[in-house]
Amino acid sequence: MSDPTNTSINFPAILASSVHDIKNSLTTVRELIAHIADKQHAHKNHNFIQLEFEVNRMNNSLVQLLELYKIDSEKFNLDIDENSADEILQEIKAQQAPLLELNQIKLSIDCAEDLYCFCDYEHICNALNTILNNAQRYTNTEIHLSAYQEQDYIVFCIEDNGAGYPEQLLSITKTEAPLISHLSGSTGLGLHFVAMLAKLHATKDKKGFIKIDNDSPLGGARFRLFLP
Amino acid sequence: MKFNLSIKNILIIEDYGVMRRSLKEMFYSLGARFVDEAEEGASAISLMKSKPYDIILCDYMLGEGKNGQQILEEARHKQLIPFHCIFIIVTGHQTASLVLNTIENKPDEYLTKPFNAHQLIRRVKKSIVRKDYFLQIKKDIKKDNLASAIFHCDALLKTENKATHTSLLKIRAELAVNTGDFEKAQAIYNQILDQRELAWARLGTGIIAFYQNDFQHAISIFKQVISDHPMVLESYDWLTKSYEALEQPDNAEQIIIQVTEISPNSFFRQQKLALLTFQSEHLEISEQAYLSVIELGKYSVHKSPADFSGLAKVYSKINKNNEALLTLDNMCKQFPHNPEAELRATTLQTEVFKKTGNSNLSQQAFERTMELHVEQKKHIPKDLRLDVARACYLNNDKELADDIIYSLIFNHSDEKAFMISIGQMQTELGQENNTQQLIQKAKKELVQINNKGVELFQKNKITQALAIFNQAIERMPDNKNIILNMATILLHNLKSSGVTKDKLLLTNYYIKRAKQVGISPDKLGNLQLEFEKITHLHS
Repeated sequence: MSDPTNTSINFPAILASSVHDIKNSLTTVRELIAHIADKQHAHKNHNFIQLEFEVNRMNNSLVQLLELYKIDSEKFNLDIDENSADEILQEIKAQQAPLLELNQIKLSIDCAEDLYCFCDYEHICNALNTILNNAQRYTNTEIHLSAYQEQDYIVFCIEDNGAGYPEQLLSITKTEAPLISHLSGSTGLGLHFVAMLAKLHATKDKKGFIKIDNDSPLGGARFRLFLP
Repeated sequence: MKFNLSIKNILIIEDYGVMRRSLKEMFYSLGARFVDEAEEGASAISLMKSKPYDIILCDYMLGEGKNGQQILEEARHKQLIPFHCIFIIVTGHQTASLVLNTIENKPDEYLTKPFNAHQLIRRVKKSIVRKDYFLQIKKDIKKDNLASAIFHCDALLKTENKATHTSLLKIRAELAVNTGDFEKAQAIYNQILDQRELAWARLGTGIIAFYQNDFQHAISIFKQVISDHPMVLESYDWLTKSYEALEQPDNAEQIIIQVTEISPNSFFRQQKLALLTFQSEHLEISEQAYLSVIELGKYSVHKSPADFSGLAKVYSKINKNNEALLTLDNMCKQFPHNPEAELRATTLQTEVFKKTGNSNLSQQAFERTMELHVEQKKHIPKDLRLDVARACYLNNDKELADDIIYSLIFNHSDEKAFMISIGQMQTELGQENNTQQLIQKAKKELVQINNKGVELFQKNKITQALAIFNQAIERMPDNKNIILNMATILLHNLKSSGVTKDKLLLTNYYIKRAKQVGISPDKLGNLQLEFEKITHLHS
């Protein structure tokens, strides 16, 4: 007989595989919700809007968990190529489009068409999507996306006209690598993840980083991702 | 570009009803009118036969039966996907695309679930625009018109379109590698790497080193790519090849083990692992790898009797004779009316029945082997011919066995791995000296024939030279050197004594053959380009 206390289980691997299953189920749940909403012509029902937001949030968290697992188990790999910054902003806009429409949030984009940056397209889109998902939750009426060159970095900026980041979050993230134990809620994990991803975008002498503050001209929170 | 989904023929392949309906709704909401759906591979393939699609959206995981990648492979193999059609594979998670990644048969796009209609239409549009932009180049490459591909690529590069510049450079560098223009390729890769450390450019420099036979340098580059980008699986494949070229099978084996751990579902990598570990007699690993190959090949166009007989050989070697026979029976069931499968079966049965004391059955199998061998002669793959030779030795038909081995050496003397297989087989049967003698004799004759042909060619006696090589090709249709020399002389003949349609066709045939038998681009590229120039002038 095997001794159950002696069996070494690879907890992270089990967790990752469960997360994966949950993520697949979530995709189905999402489709079912959309289907039901369709049948009942209930797209504008507040509960459905909330549901869509929560499902998005769960999905983002699960994606982050999986990515963190991969980084931890050295299965993580960036697929760096030259990408159009405008494409990236358009893509995350598309990702959030249904919700933005429902919540009647005005989203504007400001980016030069010929601005290119070296990055992993899928990962950066995912990361920015997490931030945008939060922004559209906490903003009042408006979100502004922009990308521009600042010295040796390409900057992706997401700002809104909501109440801004809570003081506690601002102080924690001032340290270079925010400690995960001090962060709570998915916003914290999300920021931690994006910061990690930014750092992995590195050249010989420069690394990517993030900055958050409440100095947006719109009056709310401002998130910036700097990629070398 | 004007984009109108309402005139596009769209196919959705998805096993899950809710998802399929939802995708269909998405396309309708975007203005599409012609949307077909399939639940699994077979019906998807028959739909593709019935009409040409413009957009195919295919889930990767489709339950029992073919997966998305296998549908793509089969559809391409059967030429059911029109040039302009975009094929998108939908996966559950991002890394899937990397792990699935095989050098051949990439889809146009991977799409990660979940996605909404806005994202879908963006991806489809982007893909179509891209496909359209590169269409001419891709067509040329597919048809092996490399000169034309280079021409179109250079023309597009001159437009200095920033959005496509890097992609064009990547294609241009690959074209340079494939036509043996390593200087150009190296210059492009350096230009990219000066800007940024991109995996594909670094990998490219390794491939150049490989083709220039600088294997040590190639190995150090591939190792660097692997340590910087552990998920760029192509570099493991190249590293394996480099170790093989240096005749370091242990190292090659280690790398292939590593990469099959990362991508256990890659058919070709498992197949390679099975072959390498069979040679090194790591038979437990080989058995597992063959079992994986057979499982992965179940619904694939790559399914082949060689993998079944490979597994049977493993069983025979570890004296699991019953399993060996069962595997051969299974092969014959899987490949009914397939002469190659039958020959594989009878060849191995000859040995296994003998071992188990069934000399009657063994004799019967051997007699059938001899019949089939005569019937199929020219079409028998080299590994099977080697097995037939082995069966002959075991049945004391040394004369025929030597004949087969001699012809194999004649045809494949420049394929190191295969020559090692020949040597190994003979050692097992206690005939090392025999092989050595055969090899020396064959090589000597080969050199004589080749030299004679080349000498005549250099003396400008083209007709006589061609006659020599024609004879040689009769006897050794797969010999790389002979084929290459034949192509060279034919090309020279085209240039010096005028072009006729027959001559063009013949030259084209041998250039294609040279490619088929695996002559590297540094030796073949120039011939190909020159030939294209001549055909271009005369078309």
